[in-house]
Amino acid sequence: MIEKIIAILNEITGADAGEIQPDTELFAEGILDSFGLVQLLVALEDQGCTLDAAELDRDAISTPEKLAALAEQAG
Amino acid sequence: MIPYQGLLFFILLILLLLPVAYFGLRGKKLRVLGAVFTALMLLAAFDSPKALVTLAIFWLWQSSLCFGYLAFRKRCQKRWLLWLFVLASLMPLILVKLSALVPPLRFFSLLGVSYMSFRAVQVLIEIYDGRIKELNVLDFGYFLLFFPSVSSGPIDRYRRFVADVHAERSREEYRAMLQTGVWKMMTGALYNFVFANLIWQFWLAKLPEHGFLATWSYLYGYTFYMFFNFAGYSRMAIGTAYVLGIKLPENFDRPFLACDMKEFWSRWHISLSTWLRDYVYTRFCMTALRGKWFRSQRTSAYLGYILTMTLMGLWHGLTPAYLVYGLYHGLLMSANEVLDTRYKGMKKLKKLPVPRAMMCLVTFHLFGFGLLIFSGRLF
Repeated sequence: MIEKIIAILNEITGADAGEIQPDTELFAEGILDSFGLVQLLVALEDQGCTLDAAELDRDAISTPEKLAALAEQAG
Repeated sequence: MIPYQGLLFFILLILLLLPVAYFGLRGKKLRVLGAVFTALMLLAAFDSPKALVTLAIFWLWQSSLCFGYLAFRKRCQKRWLLWLFVLASLMPLILVKLSALVPPLRFFSLLGVSYMSFRAVQVLIEIYDGRIKELNVLDFGYFLLFFPSVSSGPIDRYRRFVADVHAERSREEYRAMLQTGVWKMMTGALYNFVFANLIWQFWLAKLPEHGFLATWSYLYGYTFYMFFNFAGYSRMAIGTAYVLGIKLPENFDRPFLACDMKEFWSRWHISLSTWLRDYVYTRFCMTALRGKWFRSQRTSAYLGYILTMTLMGLWHGLTPAYLVYGLYHGLLMSANEVLDTRYKGMKKLKKLPVPRAMMCLVTFHLFGFGLLIFSGRLF
């Protein structure tokens, strides 16, 4: 799941290869913003994993590994 | 009596907060005391029979809608039904805002209608989402009418508020909250009654009404005045809420250190911008992306910003100045998005001290110009 999330993030944000690591702080580093988060959630939905946007606390999804853990829970 | 203004208000506020603090320090739950405090302060603030009756009707109206929608939602989960209830919930606010343009509607006015409407609409949306599954009459009434933030925010969220209301706090925890609350009330008063007043009396009030240089000077003076005035009110409201055992969200975080408009709105009137982000912007963009409304995904980001910020402008009032203010910020946010997307170097520039300082200066002036529009001084 984590590789999938990093691949989506790379595509959405146009980040350089290796820039996004499992523990990268996505919001603090300015990699992800409100719209980037929407794009990520819609891309995950397309792959069958639905996360509730309004329910997500930014601290709980601040890194790819936290996002992956939540996505795995959501199935 | 106007909230957070005049000696009488503060004497009453302190007198009514003293027993709350006493019981809080003894480790008692503050739910009922806090609700009584809110009821008494509302009685003092809505100090005419007409104002009280209007508030009572508003309370009954919003309660009927929220409890009614909770019952309907179990049978019908269509989005149009939510829209209908949201529109009905916004009717008092729309009436008040329209009354500025239509004099016959001036019979209806209600202190705090803007902030209380935000609270009710948020409850309706979360019922639709299935995240609020039950409502309690006392908790809902307390949340809707919560006095400290009724006139100028911050805007709280129902589930967070109710969790605070029912939280078991030790004496030590409450003592820390009380200290923070008193500190915030005192610094808020300093911001508002000293800094904002000084700026008004010795700077803004002395400026001529017309002229380029006077307007240029007004831009700086008014921007600082608005910050100290608004952040001061917010701090006093947050401080009062802390004494009642409620951790209202922060509303300002050193906004003039923001290096672009997107960052600025995460530091200025934070509770309004996060409310609009969660309940308008994100929902609009999700729906647009899911439905593939536009060829380019970015189009929904730009339109989302323009829609959200225009609504923010109109929420202040249905006048051309507020409409232009909202559109101006929508366009600035869209331009910010374009720069971030097109120029990858921006991210690195924002981390370098000198470019960042220059960007902060530009952001400050862009916001200051927006406030000049907001003030109505330009047209």
